[in-house]
Amino acid sequence: MTDTLIQHLVIPLGQILVVLGVISLVVTYLTLLERKILGFMQLRLAPRRVGPHGILQPIADAVKLLIKEDIIPDKADRMLFTLAPILTIIPAFTALAVIPFSGGGTIDLFGYSIHPWIADVNVGVVFLLAISSLGVYGIMLGGWSSNSKYSMLGALRGAAQMVSYEVPFGFSIIGVMMLSGTASMVGIVEAQREAHVWYFVPQIVGLFLFFVSGVAETNRLPFDLPEAESELVAGFHTEYSGMKFALFFLAEYTSMIIIASIATTLFLGGWMRPFPNVAALGWLNLGLDRISPLLAGVFWFATKTFLVLFLYLWLRGTFPRYRYDQLMRLGWFWMIPLSIANVVATGLAVILAR
Amino acid sequence: MTVGSLLRKILLLELWQGMWVTLKNQFRPHITVEYPRETLEFAPRFRGVPRLRRDPQTGEELCISCLLCEAICPTECISIVAEKKPDGKGKDLVSFTINYERCCFCGLCVDPCPTKPITAIYMSHDYEFAGFDRSAYVAERAELVDGIPVKLYDR
Repeated sequence: MTDTLIQHLVIPLGQILVVLGVISLVVTYLTLLERKILGFMQLRLAPRRVGPHGILQPIADAVKLLIKEDIIPDKADRMLFTLAPILTIIPAFTALAVIPFSGGGTIDLFGYSIHPWIADVNVGVVFLLAISSLGVYGIMLGGWSSNSKYSMLGALRGAAQMVSYEVPFGFSIIGVMMLSGTASMVGIVEAQREAHVWYFVPQIVGLFLFFVSGVAETNRLPFDLPEAESELVAGFHTEYSGMKFALFFLAEYTSMIIIASIATTLFLGGWMRPFPNVAALGWLNLGLDRISPLLAGVFWFATKTFLVLFLYLWLRGTFPRYRYDQLMRLGWFWMIPLSIANVVATGLAVILAR
Repeated sequence: MTVGSLLRKILLLELWQGMWVTLKNQFRPHITVEYPRETLEFAPRFRGVPRLRRDPQTGEELCISCLLCEAICPTECISIVAEKKPDGKGKDLVSFTINYERCCFCGLCVDPCPTKPITAIYMSHDYEFAGFDRSAYVAERAELVDGIPVKLYDR
């Protein structure tokens, strides 16, 4: 009885705590990274006042947001206004459940072996798709309940954009699922090891489609129309302040990390080092696998995720925002046909190769 | 449409060009001046607030109370009080006040100044003098000669 309790309650709770803690810390420092990279791209210095080279800036920002006044506008729908940030943050955090942060072993603690992922669901990819679609509810409710024109416009744009880009987002993953024959995140990584090639090589179009629609899903530049500063003040979170605003912010950055980790898992070989089947390249693990193969896995997963996140920030530093009709045209005229073509081509190739 | 331009479109070459520019920029030195800690070098002819100065050799104050700067000042921000010396030749400077609220930084006061080898009044390179009340902008003789101590940003 206690054994089952520990196996199915205590260990998952511990894993959830660790993952949430680490991801929250990474999110706060992702804001600093973003400001630093944007600063360097614009020949500025970025935050430098709080701590050496501004290293404590995210902490100061978090404290500032926590102690700020939490304003609810008079004409706002109080319940939905409070509910919206919660509805945004929960799907973002829930999606972390199926992401395999490392592999190739377990941590053995007090006689229990703990996997480096919270859950290995056999429909992990579908679960991710389902959860990531829920994020749009928070945006819509937040925009509508604020009772402000800017928020409403931002929410409308957000809803239309996320619904449009949901389709190529889903289709771009189907190619990977056909190649690997499984929808489990761990299974897909293992299939990439057996295929001797990461899926970004046969699925380069899929990766491109996935990343672009992922950027649109997370409302990041150049697709940040729901919160276009120069047009809509701050879009759907115009009326939010203090902790509620921080929740929206946290959700946006967590979604970025999730998109980056999905891209890493599905297309870039997850926790594996480059050329995982070539023993001669073992030095690439920098000796981390001698301490624990899990550590090397985490290292490679974090490195690849960071590279994708850098691409996010790089795009933000380079491209101006799309106009609304351009965004829709890109989505419906290019992304969706291209993703369907990709699915058909991959399916044909899989059948012919059999 | 030629094959080349079609390829450029499919491979999104223009987007990659833009991204290459921002990537290169990351490694260029920054152009921000961290102001309180570091300041820009001024050109010698930069006109900051007018100040008085001493003879570089003897260390004596150069002003001979000729009142020429007071006379030429278009905003009448300089006011000089001088007394005849007891022996009858020349004047003693009693007070020399510049009201920086009025000063327009034209530099006209420097032109007629007759002292040799350098002018007694000159346009210094000082510019940091924000104050909390108006009295901070009336500089007396001692401050004009030796400079107003600037409180630097220290934290």
